[in-house]
Amino acid sequence: MPTGKETHTDQAKPHRWGMVVDLDRCTGCEACVVACHAENNIAVSNPEEAARGRVNHWLRVDRYYEGQFPDVKVKYRPVLCQHCDEAPCEPVCPVNATYHNPEGLNVQVYNRCVGTFYCANNCPYTVRSFNWFDPQWPEPMQLQHNPDVSLRPGGVMEKCTFCIQRIKRVEESADAGSRPVADGEVQPACVQSCPAEAMVFGDLNDPDSKVSRLAGDGRATKLMEELGTKPKVVYLDRAR
Amino acid sequence: MERRNFFKILSTASAGAVATSCGTSTDALIPLLVPEQDLIPGVEYWHPSVCTACPSGCGVLARVMDGERIIERISVERSTAGKTEKLRQRLAAIKKLEGNPLDHVSGGRLCARGQASVQSLYNPDRLRGPMKRSGVRGEATFQPISWKQAIAEASDQLLKIKAEAADRIAIVTGPGANTRTLALRGFAKAIGAPEPVVCSVASWAAERKAAELALNWQGLPFYDVTNARHILSVGADFLGGWISPVHYARQFGAFRQARTEIRGYLAHAESRLSITASAADQWLPLKPGSEAQFLAAVGRILLDLNLAPKASSVPAGVLAAFRGFDLAALIAATGIDERRLRQAVEQLGRSEGPLVLAGASSIHTNSVDAIIASHCVNMMLGNIGAPGGILPPAKAAIEPLTNPRFAEALSQARAIILDEANPLYTAPKSAHIKEALTKAGFVLSFATTLDDSAAWADLILPAHHSLEGELAVAPSTASRVSLAVGGAFVQPLYETQAVPATLAALAAGMNVTFQPATAKEIAEPLLPKDLPWETVVREGGFHADPGLPSVPAPKSKPAAKAVSSPATFSVNPAKFEGDGPFLLQPYLSPQLHDGSLSNLPWLQECPDPASSAVWSLPVEIDPVTAQKLGIASGDNVKLESATGSITVPAYIHPGAVPGVLSMALGGGHQHFGRYASGRGANPLEILALAHEPATGDLATGATRVRLTRIGPGKDLIQYSAEDKEERPHAHR
Repeated sequence: MPTGKETHTDQAKPHRWGMVVDLDRCTGCEACVVACHAENNIAVSNPEEAARGRVNHWLRVDRYYEGQFPDVKVKYRPVLCQHCDEAPCEPVCPVNATYHNPEGLNVQVYNRCVGTFYCANNCPYTVRSFNWFDPQWPEPMQLQHNPDVSLRPGGVMEKCTFCIQRIKRVEESADAGSRPVADGEVQPACVQSCPAEAMVFGDLNDPDSKVSRLAGDGRATKLMEELGTKPKVVYLDRAR
Repeated sequence: MERRNFFKILSTASAGAVATSCGTSTDALIPLLVPEQDLIPGVEYWHPSVCTACPSGCGVLARVMDGERIIERISVERSTAGKTEKLRQRLAAIKKLEGNPLDHVSGGRLCARGQASVQSLYNPDRLRGPMKRSGVRGEATFQPISWKQAIAEASDQLLKIKAEAADRIAIVTGPGANTRTLALRGFAKAIGAPEPVVCSVASWAAERKAAELALNWQGLPFYDVTNARHILSVGADFLGGWISPVHYARQFGAFRQARTEIRGYLAHAESRLSITASAADQWLPLKPGSEAQFLAAVGRILLDLNLAPKASSVPAGVLAAFRGFDLAALIAATGIDERRLRQAVEQLGRSEGPLVLAGASSIHTNSVDAIIASHCVNMMLGNIGAPGGILPPAKAAIEPLTNPRFAEALSQARAIILDEANPLYTAPKSAHIKEALTKAGFVLSFATTLDDSAAWADLILPAHHSLEGELAVAPSTASRVSLAVGGAFVQPLYETQAVPATLAALAAGMNVTFQPATAKEIAEPLLPKDLPWETVVREGGFHADPGLPSVPAPKSKPAAKAVSSPATFSVNPAKFEGDGPFLLQPYLSPQLHDGSLSNLPWLQECPDPASSAVWSLPVEIDPVTAQKLGIASGDNVKLESATGSITVPAYIHPGAVPGVLSMALGGGHQHFGRYASGRGANPLEILALAHEPATGDLATGATRVRLTRIGPGKDLIQYSAEDKEERPHAHR
């Protein structure tokens, strides 16, 4: 029976990045959604394409209603790539555009991607976004582009990277100082922005990290864990 | 890099150097081979600034790196002389905004709107320089004009009107408290015009007035959510559309899960399933306008159950008023089941750390009554000035403008100056703003992007974006004297000018003495001796710690005189205008706010938390009404009030209060750039001209409407159409 709790199974590797989302803190404000766009140069669609379902978000906030008025409850849940240890998207890519890196990240190599869509079809969390057309950045919007993240053309699949560019920056800085990466030093854009501090990121290989401690909480669950995907995003349920 | 482009950049850099030496600051360039100051290609710098997406005053850090844009200029090369050529220009560019960890309000965090505000800086529809009307007023046809000529013409017009009737120069602005506000106020005084008026649906006038009447506090009270244990919030969507969403969301996170063994409990009473109601442990769906009755009932039940430990501190007249209420009538007015209401009050009263937080996210004709009632309940609970209670506001470093009577000022105006206000959008048709703009002798706007009201201007003198110039902002809510400060660290993209500088130039043209105060001049009298200005600039502002000398706070004791008079504590029923069977409830969008951010594509594409709509905002209809009228989600419906009608897509909201039609603001701009113009409808347009009597603020929730199905529509675009989860943790 899946418990949702995170166990430390892979301690030989230097880092095993994971995230905890505390749904008791989350307000559904979507600051994380826009922070992700700003950090990762995610293209804006337009109303016509949006009406055809062609909107790109690497992170979405699912919202579901339960019950009947006046006893209606709303569930908000930020959903992003779960960076599964057994990622269903990886083995189906015919060109190895999506693969597992040594730190447990599910990574996408954009210039390998030929847009077969197999990975998106196989992802149970539907967190992959396809560029149905070349993105438009009317002058001078390109000035806001993050130079650490490459722009993706039409025909390419993309997804959350746990802000790998931020991880690399911190790791390089730690290496240069011959010191370990401190707990909490890496913050993906969504985690950094969250006003209610509902999101925590860190090294699941470090049993003392905040993310590891929270992942062992009694409220911990994982999305569709029964599929055997071994997600590295842990949700702490709302306390009732 | 191509050799040709390399030389073009080089030649542009040289031209920039020449231009600079001639004293023209426009398009100053960063030379390619000798980086300007410390800017090194590929290296990031973080500069403090202030977010101005709403008046909260969140301190931010801007990530600055080198960027590149295309500019056009007339060629000076011999072979192509006189022809327009496109060049690449290198310049310092802001890549991202994040909260400033040293800032008291944001604490290093930022909301969706703040994150997106970099898109207003790099918005493709920004005005490039001064513009003069070339067609009939309101047609929105303009031609470029030089700053010199624009200032001369504007000064001339204002001087003429000043000589004839200075008191009929109306300056209309937003609810912020910043260097720009201060400059407008100073300019008005210098030219003999009345104090600027505020045109906004988010000025929180009812909250200010109630604090003044009940507690003798000047400013917005500070709720210590972090240290409370049980909160009953009433009418205030404090996690979404209220005073300071980032600050209160930070507090909410700590309230819920930062304490060992204590988890804060939130009960929320509001006539809409807002994001605060969604986050609450219990939602009490009120009838619109019954917040005052609800809070009077809360006070009465607490007294009846002896759960008001500090009742003795409440003036006798107020206690008598609570005890004299007809409880059954109060409860009936709220529309909430009596057992449920009593249970909620008992839970509050039995908590070790109860707090009542009330506000007017939807403004009614009795909103001040409701908030005064909440202060009285907090007095009974011993919450005034106590940890986990309601704290007095610190003296504002910059006093906000508070006069909301813009419609009156505009109707008599011979000259209208618009800054950070869009009355044609924010005010209902019944306020006759279009008529006022038509008949005024002169209309001047400082808009950065052509908006609905700027389209009616005779002259537009576009302002710098707030990230392009020096700025100081007093946060809307703070328990300590605070100021967030931003410097000028990126060059202005276009031929724009900071509003204080424009006002100074206009004053000079009118032969009037006026010198706007700088951020330093505002801050220095408030600073402790050991805190130099340079440190304030480096850290992005200051807030006076308790150990530092600070401006004394107003009295923390409630003003007995104000609350002891029965005249100041009454619970009037809310009044509604019109005869339709439904109540229209426009609300501040968590993304697009009051519509002033509708031109930002990141926010247009960020799903609405209620309906998951993108690029469109629907009216929310309860399932029973929808079934009765045969309306399905996506259908087009007509909302009709006594003053007009709008056509909007419908969303059948499982949590909508029956009989209440809620709709987020943001749609319905006639002019606001490519991402907002002609998109959706504006519910404010059809509101009746009803006011909250104590403040004069527009009562946004006081209009009755009719609802009619038109037919199937295509305007509702949902990112996720499913309202119900198929099974626990099912994907969308």
